[in-house]
Amino acid sequence: MRLEDVWLRYHRRGPWVLRGINVHLGPGEVAVVLGRNGAGKSTVLQVAAGVLRPGRGRVTGRPTRVGWVPERFPADQPFTVARYLTGMARMAGLGGAAADEAVTTWTDRLGLSAFRSVRLPELSKGTAQKVGLAQAMLRPPGLLVLDEPWEGLDAATRELVPELIAEVLAADGAVLVSDHRGETVRLPAARRWLVADGSLTEETSSADETFAVVEVAVPAARVAGTVARLRAEGHQVLGVRADASTATARARPAAPQVRPAAAEPTRAQSGADQGADPVIEPAAGEAR
Amino acid sequence: MNALVRMRLAGFLRTGRALAPLLAGLVVLGTLYGGGRAQPAEAYGVSAVVLFPVIAWQTKILLDVEPDVQRRLAQVAVGVARERLAGLLAAGVAALVTVAVALLFPWLVGGVTGPVDPGDRSIPVGLALGVWAHLLAVPAAVALGALASRASVGGAGYGVAVLTLGGVGAVVLGLSGSVAPWLAPPIMAAARTTGGDAAALTLLGLSGWALAWSAAVVGGYLWRRRAQG
Repeated sequence: MRLEDVWLRYHRRGPWVLRGINVHLGPGEVAVVLGRNGAGKSTVLQVAAGVLRPGRGRVTGRPTRVGWVPERFPADQPFTVARYLTGMARMAGLGGAAADEAVTTWTDRLGLSAFRSVRLPELSKGTAQKVGLAQAMLRPPGLLVLDEPWEGLDAATRELVPELIAEVLAADGAVLVSDHRGETVRLPAARRWLVADGSLTEETSSADETFAVVEVAVPAARVAGTVARLRAEGHQVLGVRADASTATARARPAAPQVRPAAAEPTRAQSGADQGADPVIEPAAGEAR
Repeated sequence: MNALVRMRLAGFLRTGRALAPLLAGLVVLGTLYGGGRAQPAEAYGVSAVVLFPVIAWQTKILLDVEPDVQRRLAQVAVGVARERLAGLLAAGVAALVTVAVALLFPWLVGGVTGPVDPGDRSIPVGLALGVWAHLLAVPAAVALGALASRASVGGAGYGVAVLTLGGVGAVVLGLSGSVAPWLAPPIMAAARTTGGDAAALTLLGLSGWALAWSAAVVGGYLWRRRAQG
């Protein structure tokens, strides 16, 4: 699939949200779309999925079957989980028996079996998000587009998302994922697309690029937000630790410690494609 | 696409949103037939006129029931053209049910009578003309309701304005001596025809006019949908 010189704005006289995006995603490839809030990550994903039509430019080679998991599942619908998923399966072109089988498979796999007869508006946010995930997988997609798929999911299901992505890739499908929580560290082989100011740039890495570990001290209360922001900006967060010498550190001039990482046996270096990224290690009292 | 049509109809019924236009339809029909008995062709012609805004409103409600994100999910699942068409078909099915109720209603409340004078139309002919008048109104009303839907106009206020202008315009511009009757669907002209001389050529002409008007408004709806993304 290829986005060719894609421009998009939401209103006729509104500002361009995307400006001349050119990008290609082949079968068996996964790309993570990164960027700040409001940068246009969801817009890129919706253009790729065929939900939004570019104002200029075009999308070519989009697979016939697309699975799209929206950022917020529309739970305000008068259907039970089973009725909704069956309807979506039939809509995706599955026959009666195949639709029932697909619904059973995915409700079991995503831990939705106990919720089959529960109406969508009564679901918790995380459970509704699982229904959103299930509807996209009912028929194996040639392109799977996941908009913040980890949002609201429990730990077990968060672990399942990379597994589902791997299955789509193994079947020669392509996957696009957006993430602002840094969960895409679970996808070490993913290409990284950074959206900013309406443009999309791909972060490239080279094997001989030198990189460094930067130790950063942040207030303990801001650890989660800082880690998420650093990851969203494409940095590899190696770990978080309590800093017993905080008081001492405050007394010293605030200078980040930067050192070449070539000699450091860090997790970043063991990751397949992530080693070229700057490696930043915030020091504070909360594990990620 | 059939699955999407069924799902949209189910959503319309299960949310209870179908009740409001149904009650409105019964109220206008009750008012229409409460005044006395009329012959079928004449009564049905007026019935089609009063049901036009009701069916348009019903269409808007049916299309607005579905959350915006679910509409986009449907678009991803079945494609842009089928998603649009499925909405119009679902609204058309709901409209036909309303028409069936409208055709049956006067017989239940004794609002119609058979031929009185020797020159009066027989009941089957009157019934056929009545069915024609209602079927003439359905595509136009569905098109107007779709144009007024949230997916087309965005805000709720614009939708109400489109519905009101369309409903009032259909009556006002359809009056005898109107300066621009072609701006409105020919539901008033159809009512006059069922109550008077219903030549085959006239029926054919009015049918073509209604279809052309509906096609133009559906075109506007599709253009708005395209513009809305």
